Amino acid sequence: MARMKFLCDAERCIECNGCVTACKQEHEIPWGVNRRRVVTLNDGLPGEKSISVACMHCSDAPCMAVCPVDCFYKTSEGVVLHDKDLCIGCGYCFYACPFGAPQFPQDGAFGLRGKMDKCTFCAGGPEQDHSAAEFKKYGRNRLAEGKLPACAEMCSTKALLGGDGDVVADIYRTRVLTRGKGSDVWGWGTAYGKPETRQPAPPQAKS
Amino acid sequence: MKARLIIASALAITAFAVAGCGEKPNVTIYKQGQYQGKPDNVPWQSQPFNNSQADWDKAIKARNARQNEYARIENQ
Amino acid sequence: MLTRKSTGAAVAPSRLTRPVATMLGRTIDRRTFLKRSGIGLSAGAVAAQLPFSIVDEARAADQPAPSNIETKRTVCTHCSVGCAIDAVVQNGVWIRQEPVFDSPINLGSHCAKGASIREHGMTHDSHRLKYPMKLVAGKWQKVSWDQALNDVSQKLLQIRKESGPDATFWIGSSKHNNEQAYLLRKFVSMFGTNNMDHQARICHSTTVAGVANTWGYGAMTNSYNDEQNSKCILFLGSNAAEAHPVSMLHTLHAKEKGAKVIVVDPRFTRTAAKADTFYRIRSGTDIAFVMGMLNHIFKNGWEDKEYIRTRVYGMDKVRAEAAKWTPDEVERVTGMKEAEVRDVAESMAKNKPSTIVWAMGQTQHTNGNAVVRASCILQLALGNVGVAGGGTNIYRGHDNVQGATDVGPNPDSLPGYYGVATGSWKHFAAVWGVDYEWLKQQFANQTLMEKPGIVVSRWIDAVLEKNDLIDQDSNLRAVVYWGHAPNSQNRGKEMLEAMKKLDLLVVVDPYPSATAAMAALARKENVYLLPAATQLECEGSVTASNRSLQWRERVIEPMFESRTDHMIMYQLAQKFGFDKQFVAKIKLQKGKGNMDEPSMEDTLREINRGMWTIGYTGQSPERLQAHMRNMHVFDVKTLRAKGGKDAKTGYVLDGDYYGLPWPCYGTPELKHPGSPNLYQTTRHVMDGGGNFRANFGVEREGVSLLAEDGSCSAGADITTGYPEFDHVLMKKLGWWDELTDAEKQAAEGKNWKTDLSGGIQRVVMKNHGCHPFGNAKARADVWNFPDPVPLHREPLFSPRPDLVDKYPTHDDQKVRWRVPVLFKTVQQANKNAVQQYPLIMTSGRLVEYEGGGDETRSNPWLAELQQEMFVEINPKDANDRNVRNNEYVWVETPTKAKLKVKTQVTERVAPGTVFLPFHFAGWWQGQDLLNYYPEGSAPYVRGESINTAMTYGYDIVTMMQETKTSLCQVNKA
Repeated sequence: MARMKFLCDAERCIECNGCVTACKQEHEIPWGVNRRRVVTLNDGLPGEKSISVACMHCSDAPCMAVCPVDCFYKTSEGVVLHDKDLCIGCGYCFYACPFGAPQFPQDGAFGLRGKMDKCTFCAGGPEQDHSAAEFKKYGRNRLAEGKLPACAEMCSTKALLGGDGDVVADIYRTRVLTRGKGSDVWGWGTAYGKPETRQPAPPQAKS
Repeated sequence: MKARLIIASALAITAFAVAGCGEKPNVTIYKQGQYQGKPDNVPWQSQPFNNSQADWDKAIKARNARQNEYARIENQ
Repeated sequence: MLTRKSTGAAVAPSRLTRPVATMLGRTIDRRTFLKRSGIGLSAGAVAAQLPFSIVDEARAADQPAPSNIETKRTVCTHCSVGCAIDAVVQNGVWIRQEPVFDSPINLGSHCAKGASIREHGMTHDSHRLKYPMKLVAGKWQKVSWDQALNDVSQKLLQIRKESGPDATFWIGSSKHNNEQAYLLRKFVSMFGTNNMDHQARICHSTTVAGVANTWGYGAMTNSYNDEQNSKCILFLGSNAAEAHPVSMLHTLHAKEKGAKVIVVDPRFTRTAAKADTFYRIRSGTDIAFVMGMLNHIFKNGWEDKEYIRTRVYGMDKVRAEAAKWTPDEVERVTGMKEAEVRDVAESMAKNKPSTIVWAMGQTQHTNGNAVVRASCILQLALGNVGVAGGGTNIYRGHDNVQGATDVGPNPDSLPGYYGVATGSWKHFAAVWGVDYEWLKQQFANQTLMEKPGIVVSRWIDAVLEKNDLIDQDSNLRAVVYWGHAPNSQNRGKEMLEAMKKLDLLVVVDPYPSATAAMAALARKENVYLLPAATQLECEGSVTASNRSLQWRERVIEPMFESRTDHMIMYQLAQKFGFDKQFVAKIKLQKGKGNMDEPSMEDTLREINRGMWTIGYTGQSPERLQAHMRNMHVFDVKTLRAKGGKDAKTGYVLDGDYYGLPWPCYGTPELKHPGSPNLYQTTRHVMDGGGNFRANFGVEREGVSLLAEDGSCSAGADITTGYPEFDHVLMKKLGWWDELTDAEKQAAEGKNWKTDLSGGIQRVVMKNHGCHPFGNAKARADVWNFPDPVPLHREPLFSPRPDLVDKYPTHDDQKVRWRVPVLFKTVQQANKNAVQQYPLIMTSGRLVEYEGGGDETRSNPWLAELQQEMFVEINPKDANDRNVRNNEYVWVETPTKAKLKVKTQVTERVAPGTVFLPFHFAGWWQGQDLLNYYPEGSAPYVRGESINTAMTYGYDIVTMMQETKTSLCQVNKA
């Protein structure tokens, strides 16, 4: 059974925003809603690193835990989805999410705060697969077509990987072994308490 | 038959009337679906997978491999 | 009872078993979008226009929609990487875009532009130019196509009658496909002038001239893919991560496999962020840096002596020049320390094959032709040219700027770099199927027919300059902007004055472009806008930077009232009365509205019949289409097909290089595989191998220019240098009788470039393994250029007055490309400009936008990502001026033009340097030009164009503009 995961390789991400527009066009997301975005640290400085961030489809998702109307659900493939018909747009999930994934589109008819919107791992939502309703509320359902998220599939340098966690891990492992630099996946040390013994060598900038 | 229809339509009318007052349903009762009580179908349920999870798994794995340029470059 | 409708509906089992096609059919019904066809929507109401509402009680439509889903394979129309795209089209509407993992070029990858290109086909929020318009009393007015074509043609004919055909200037497009670019060259020739040009002038003209004069062809020698074979990659004047993002797939893969990546740039670019090493250089001092590297190379004996001996002419002169560039002097000029320069030199020399990458950072300088030659010389010294993993990887800009340069509207050459001499015209008269004498009488006279025309960077001077100072009878009176952005040219203020003075300005473009807004600002009438179809609305071939040709299928019909460029050309040709000659040998086909247009496939066949010089002869539409259908058989590293047979035509792909990178010599039947790496002697010529071109004679000052003994392409019958082939040499060698009788007849009196039968190429290559263009040495000493060996020259607006006397610019030139050009006068007058304008101003690209940006700034998915024009300024400079991040400032240059832009305070730029992106337009010195665009078609994002304020300066050989090094001051707004 596949467990869907994203992984962004900071050694490869060039902040081209291809993932952002791939997502926007695939789901026709309006201006102001960012299911995915590229975050850059040390912008313009030696050691500059970018990663692409969206809903991480957590195994034990905090958004699910806090939702007062229990609108979230997790599919058997590990994708965290929610039901917009149930969502009350309270924004509690936004408090809970460590990645800033939940988005709140402005909604003309019903006031300022609309229903929550977020990355669906291109898995649509509770509406009938491939229906107009599903597309309108949640975007395309690529998983049901046997495809993977548009952002990962179109990434310019294949920095962003998305799919079965095992396959993603294999792809990433090949790269790390080829680089021969050990695992310098961003945040590894923070997550696993292992001090990063070897910082990626910063480009030797001229003083 | 007739009586049941009448009851059903009466109930429907009541429900409609309530909705008409602008009252929103605030308790959700789920029918049992596939995902934690919420109705959605699994990705292999519709075409082209015809409810075959094995086919879908295979398709997704193959598709996933295309994100690996090493497979395209080094295995040629 | 309180179950909600939508969830209740979801359990109905019948819907789950519906065939997917009908489901897709319903999902993506765009009828509503089409209904809201976007006409007259204001640019401001962005969010409201977008089709996304989550409160709608959306339900699946019940009636089954007819599903008519097709997939069209096309190629991204933005940059020159050439990313393939599968466009999913339903009932003529482009509904989805899928990655083409099979493409050996992009492997399914896209940048922000490629991933959002489907916006092209969206009608509901389109900012396209939707119908022909004319300016009446300063207001845009809709007119019919008939009226527009009548008015435009009558006015042009009137001007031609009064002032001659050279009073008109035609700016073609690097977005046109090869066929359209080729047809435009033909079209303007038949109108009777060489006054035409396109984007390449201000993008890589210095490369084309400088590199071609060094070794034969002025193009990228290897490919993006080939970087995977490199051990060291030096980016000098390229920010590929933003300008060619998908190329970084190959670069970073190479890096992962151990290649060293070095970036030398005035700016810590996103490419630098991914490099192993970054060194900062002062803008405009590339030659000093390369000479400094050569100094280390020669001093340490790192050069490839055998390679230089057998394949390079004039390296001794370079050695003498390099000796002057001691580490101290290099540091004084470039700001780079000895250890840094030495590190780059050593890395390049000891990690071979090593390659050098450049783009506008090298070309857009007043001595750009010399900068690019310095890079070539570096690679020659290291023996890196003609080697897989080596070469000069020159990244072209637009998607088809390479093709438009090869076969398109150039003022100094006919398609295929044939020049404009009598012989070339006669060759083309034959190819086009017209009478040479007829062609000649279309021109004012034979002198003007054979004189290179005006260039796009200087048309404003051809309007404004005193008549007796220009090298043609009349000043320019009419200008046609056919797919070109005005904000990509420097001296914007003067351009506005030139626009005022014109009698007629015509814009043919899918978007009204900044030209429309500037024209409406400058004028009240005699401006016409004709809506052109995009490249996704027509088919044709496109040449990527690596010289591979790819065939685009038409994705959708031309939207709104737009017509294809070739249809517009044909219709104007009808008005001008040369339509018969225009398509003498090209079939017409029915296009939009059942109107005639030249067939693109047939036009490519005409190109195939004529373009012998650069091997555009083997790429028949059938071969290219077979490649597009079978991308998976091509190896990514070598671009070569391993086996494979096209299922549709039975064409055998085995051995072909992807896209038949030119030169692909001979007829298609010869089945030359294309040349992935130019000048590679380790391969047979019929295997894509080659050697340097014999284009500059056989000897000079008693020294042979031909390759030395033993240096030749693999398997050549002649194992030493030899001149280019013509009928005489064929006879002398006794090879003449290998031609068929028909070939003999066609080849008699001809050479390899003008033999229309292709017989000479066939015999020389296939039978004897020799190269039709001869086998010579590359020239480190290009004696026909003003600086035969590249010399550092300070920019006209130099931040270093102390260096101007030692490294002065050229003398003023009375006439270059029909207009005078100033060098020393400007440099001397501005020698102390740095006191008033202390910041070095440089410009470049952003990943989200392309070129002048009118199209990409009209794409909401891209526009959202970069909403304001900005200036990157170092914290020190910002603090000294009391400005903070994201505040408005005025950027002022010595032209006195002032730009109101937001600050981006960052250490990306060093103190003393500022950077501005060049894709913006639509503001004019603080004023938003929204009201000057036709209603509803202004781009979402407008901003100051840096080129409004960019200063004077041109390359002496090609008239490339200087947009990379100038001076400015920044003040709080």
